[in-house]
Amino acid sequence: MTRWLGWLAALGLLAGLAMGFGVAPKDAVQGNVQRIMYVHVPSILTAYLAFALVLIASLGYLFTRRTGWDRLAHSAGEIGVVFTGLTLVSGSIWGKPTWGTWWTWDARLTSTAILFLIYVGYLLLRGMVDDPERGARYAAVVGILGAVNIPIVHFSVLWWRTLHQPPTILSPERAPVSASIGLALLVNGVAFALLFLYLLSKRLALRRLEEEIRA
Amino acid sequence: MPDHWGFVFAAYGIAAVVLFGYWRRLIRLHAELSALKARREVKR
Repeated sequence: MTRWLGWLAALGLLAGLAMGFGVAPKDAVQGNVQRIMYVHVPSILTAYLAFALVLIASLGYLFTRRTGWDRLAHSAGEIGVVFTGLTLVSGSIWGKPTWGTWWTWDARLTSTAILFLIYVGYLLLRGMVDDPERGARYAAVVGILGAVNIPIVHFSVLWWRTLHQPPTILSPERAPVSASIGLALLVNGVAFALLFLYLLSKRLALRRLEEEIRA
Repeated sequence: MPDHWGFVFAAYGIAAVVLFGYWRRLIRLHAELSALKARREVKR
């Protein structure tokens, strides 16, 4: 199953590259640099998915105290951090030619950086507590509180005046993008989601092994 | 606006390195822990 998921994710990523570079047209205003969007947007959407899973699994753990929920929260949190880091880096690279700066303390950028730091802290916290049960409990609380930042990141561009553009895809109004750009984004979004599921299954297997060795 | 292909390739390149690196790390750790588990089972 995991192997098939891996191959499916690899095929999806190849299809995403073909769509992003071969099918989607050059942006009328930004030129080809806009193609960074096909990495940047799927990365943050995947991070949202990962941290939403952390929230659900953390609630599950606090209510049931079953290790499976903690295993899921831990694994999804780690992968969410990877994708949030990728969002920050790709956004910074996109920002330099379009905004003229690698970084600015804009509400969207700052809230995303805070999201990244919260979940880095979430992972560090697990390593700092010796008792695994207590560590899981503390992490679950941070996992739940950290999720509060997800809507702040997403709606920051509507709530504050920002340099970052307002949401295009998950916008309250109809997305103002051409069909081929929308399709390229969709293919890349699905590919990143498949990659997330594949990495999650690998991370879960690793965490299970860690528990067996610790026992 | 100029195309800035260098920035495009840098973004895709870094994404590829990060994701491939993370995947390799998971594979490597799994192999190391599996070997450790097998060694412990032999000792028992």
